[in-house]
Amino acid sequence: MSRIFTEDQVLIDRLGINDTDAFEELYRRYWYGLYRYCVKKLHSEKDARIIVRDIFVAIWEKRETLPVSFSISKYLYEEVRNKVVKCLNQKLADANFSGCVEQWLDTEFSVQSLQAARMPVKKEYTFINKPSELIRQQTGQIGIEHNTIDSIKWMFQSLTTKLSLNHLLSYTKN
Amino acid sequence: MKPEILHRKLERYITGKSMPAETKQIQTWLSCTSPDKPLTPEEKSLLELEILQELQAHTAYPLFYPKKNKSWWQKITALF
Repeated sequence: MSRIFTEDQVLIDRLGINDTDAFEELYRRYWYGLYRYCVKKLHSEKDARIIVRDIFVAIWEKRETLPVSFSISKYLYEEVRNKVVKCLNQKLADANFSGCVEQWLDTEFSVQSLQAARMPVKKEYTFINKPSELIRQQTGQIGIEHNTIDSIKWMFQSLTTKLSLNHLLSYTKN
Repeated sequence: MKPEILHRKLERYITGKSMPAETKQIQTWLSCTSPDKPLTPEEKSLLELEILQELQAHTAYPLFYPKKNKSWWQKITALF
């Protein structure tokens, strides 16, 4: 996997000429969002897995006939919603399944929860007194060791000091 | 909501015969984004690999389009 970020459209173009690396890059970029959405909606990891797999199998199968202005994010958004609805419908058709599905259907399709869904999403803020604690949390999330941040900070500080000193020296010379 | 009622609603939605209110209700449910518990990085990478392997088994693309071994300089330049 390359560290250079390639745009979706470029990957789609490469997919058209059977580039498997481009396909895997697209998969790595989008699978998790689709998976989490399906788990949230269907309360089943197995179904989520099948849906994600089917979506990408379909993309691979129609790689040569994708339109020029193909938007993968739009396609995935529409496809995952359709598949979730179809999967839920299938579950409800299965008489044995209806019993356990009924429990979460009551809460998810209640007027209160649907009204809440139409409200704008609010970001949760947590207030942390110590800035160092915040840095530690953020670096932990992106998988960088705290020591690395310290060494980068030290590098920047020494660089700025040297630069300002050089600037001052050149200024005094002139 | 009773599963039977929802089943009929979904049936109509899939076939494109649902009432506007039913469409609104289903689409609102689809758009509901309540927070949930994310997977740990280890679970995530394991699942990513498993689904990718399933994908490869379904499409059999590695057989038709095997990966070419990159030369050493291509591997190095890919890191930057």
